[in-house]
Amino acid sequence: MARLIVLGGGVSGHTAATFAAKWLGSAHEVVVVTPNAKWNWIPSNIWVGVGQMSKEDVTFDLAPVYAKAGITYKQAKAVSLNPAGNELSERPFVTIEYTEQSRAGENENIEYDYVINATGPKLNFGATPGLGEGDSLGEHTVSVCTADHAVHAADELNKCIQKMKSGERQKFLIGTGHGLCTCQGAAFEYIFNVEHELKKAGVRDMADLKWISNESFLGDFGVGGLHMKSMGFAVSSKIFAESLFTERNVDWIIGAHVNKVEAGKVHYELLDGDMGEEDFDFSMLIPPFAGVGLKAYGKDGSDITDTIFAPNGFLKVDANYGAGAYENWKASDWPLTYQNPTYSNMFACGIAFAPPHAISKPMKSPNGTPIGPTPPRTGMPSGIIGKAVAHSICDRILKGEDAPLHEASMAHMGAACVASAGKGLFTGTAAAMTIYPVVPDFEKYPGTGRDTDYTFGEIGLAGHWIKHILHHLFMHKAKLNVGWTLIPE
Amino acid sequence: MIKEIITYPTPPSVEYSTDVRVFNEDLFSLIDDLKETITANSLDGLAAFQIGNHFNVVVVKKEDGSFLELINPRIIMKNGNIVGMEKTAYFPGLSAEVKRYNKISVVYQDRDSNQHSLKAEGAFSVLLQRKIDYTFGSSFLNKLSSKEKAIFEKKLEFGSDIAISETCPTTFKRDYLVKLANSLVIVIAILLFVSLFVDDKSCLSEIWKYQLYTSFGVLGVNIVYFFYAQYEGKEFTSCTSCQIGNIIGTTLISLVKLTFVMILSYFLVNPL
Repeated sequence: MARLIVLGGGVSGHTAATFAAKWLGSAHEVVVVTPNAKWNWIPSNIWVGVGQMSKEDVTFDLAPVYAKAGITYKQAKAVSLNPAGNELSERPFVTIEYTEQSRAGENENIEYDYVINATGPKLNFGATPGLGEGDSLGEHTVSVCTADHAVHAADELNKCIQKMKSGERQKFLIGTGHGLCTCQGAAFEYIFNVEHELKKAGVRDMADLKWISNESFLGDFGVGGLHMKSMGFAVSSKIFAESLFTERNVDWIIGAHVNKVEAGKVHYELLDGDMGEEDFDFSMLIPPFAGVGLKAYGKDGSDITDTIFAPNGFLKVDANYGAGAYENWKASDWPLTYQNPTYSNMFACGIAFAPPHAISKPMKSPNGTPIGPTPPRTGMPSGIIGKAVAHSICDRILKGEDAPLHEASMAHMGAACVASAGKGLFTGTAAAMTIYPVVPDFEKYPGTGRDTDYTFGEIGLAGHWIKHILHHLFMHKAKLNVGWTLIPE
Repeated sequence: MIKEIITYPTPPSVEYSTDVRVFNEDLFSLIDDLKETITANSLDGLAAFQIGNHFNVVVVKKEDGSFLELINPRIIMKNGNIVGMEKTAYFPGLSAEVKRYNKISVVYQDRDSNQHSLKAEGAFSVLLQRKIDYTFGSSFLNKLSSKEKAIFEKKLEFGSDIAISETCPTTFKRDYLVKLANSLVIVIAILLFVSLFVDDKSCLSEIWKYQLYTSFGVLGVNIVYFFYAQYEGKEFTSCTSCQIGNIIGTTLISLVKLTFVMILSYFLVNPL
């Protein structure tokens, strides 16, 4: 009997674990190690953050689902990896620390034949002074990164709405809280959902909304922007985004690295080197991501973390980390199989794999501060990668060590993104966008690096309905209800 | 080499704007082409897009006549608004009122790939914004207010700025006169229909009298329409439905209707 350990139970890890359990059956064991008791459909946290959904709507208990799937579930966080075992045993193992109340703080070593690192990111609030400490949200801003954060955000938003109703003008600042953030899309959704709710509450005229982001142009979204083709013409997502912001009367600051947050004020540095300040009454700033801080040890107990993990804490995989300057970047730099180059039984998926470089053009301020989006590995690509990795491991377990690995390069993969801009059965809007490939391939598609026949975007009510349907579909799939395997990632 | 400037309706490029990644002879050659094309056409600047190249490159002429090369430009900061009439080589001979930022800060690279930034204000700021729009596949058409856009689309239709300062309304006051004339003709027709069921000559004589008076009314309304429509049309010189031919046509149609009904009435209603 082989044992596969999946570290993390987010979108990518949950997909990998559930498909692996289905394909391997009861002859082999799948273990999920995740510190959370609940699964969270993170994209819908946006709606929790504006009070349009409850925490219960976007989460469910993992234990019964894993029991149904025959997965061994450990509510714990992974602490370290010993990919070559230790002095007592040749078998590789993971050291975990339980987070469930009855065993909190208790450590355990679990041996494995294969391991998938799908821990997701550490929400690195501590990277920006005042934004938070370590992975804990600070007191000055709100977040929608977790369901609990989103509930808190909705409460704070409601307080602001009450103040506006009593005649007090409010300033909203929403965007990214550091020069190297990703997930601009989530902040983009949030600012327009807030705007929509303010309008519904009849207080839009009492609110000043401002966007702040590390993108060098509006609509970059961490993928260098995209182009929407229509009638033989193509318009950049910059024009699309600027039109939307102007239409909704939302001002913006771009090319900004937020370097300090205080009560009611952020300090930032711009790409041109200028320093600025912005006041706010309500602010939702996405933190930068980092690896969760897993350690790795050799057989002799030596620290081999640097061998296994990139400096940002994400797991090294079969990517070209030596691509160097922007002009050398190629689609082929991006990983195909997500297998660790040192240990062939170790894989990563979702945010936990170390990307070879950014997708957007790298930029620095004259002071040397890097300001630019890091590449997104969330949503559709993370599910697809999780499934491909599970497929590879299952093949190796069932067919033998020489079974070919499955590939899911982000440079060969398209993605669909439905960004909500307001919730409502008849008043809702969402921007539905497709992009192919996610990582531009400048050799195959000279110009933008993308196939514009498969890259388009539309905004409207239908997009909102799709977004809402997707919420129910993905919750259904994640709960492993009838027909879950038929629903694509 | 002097390049042909792409003009509307040809899209500037179907290979969409992309950042320059490799700074080599091809780039330098592109910049030279832009400069020569600017000089040959006495322009204030060009985006590579406008000569059919998909790279994110802009060359503008500074006040002292020298060229400023901007590679991969981005507008980072913006302040204040300014509204002014703009022209661009993409829409030759046409102008539009465009709302722009008064002050901007732009980061860009030079031909050696070194990053720089500059601050611009007023006309120079507007010029940079217009050129950078092209590098993202846009023209000032996307910056126009809905009213100005409607006017500009008319200019595109006529291919000229001359005498085009307004949109063509879909309804006019004179339309009420046409409606009145038509209603009166309908009244005459109804009287004609009623007369078919009347045998009494004195009654028919009364009906014919009313028809006659009403027809004079229709004639009068048409005369008022003919002159008032021309007066109203002077406000909308670009509007085809305001032209004299259209007005004559509308008047004639009304009179033909009246004549037709009155001829029928003369033979069927008039007891004399």
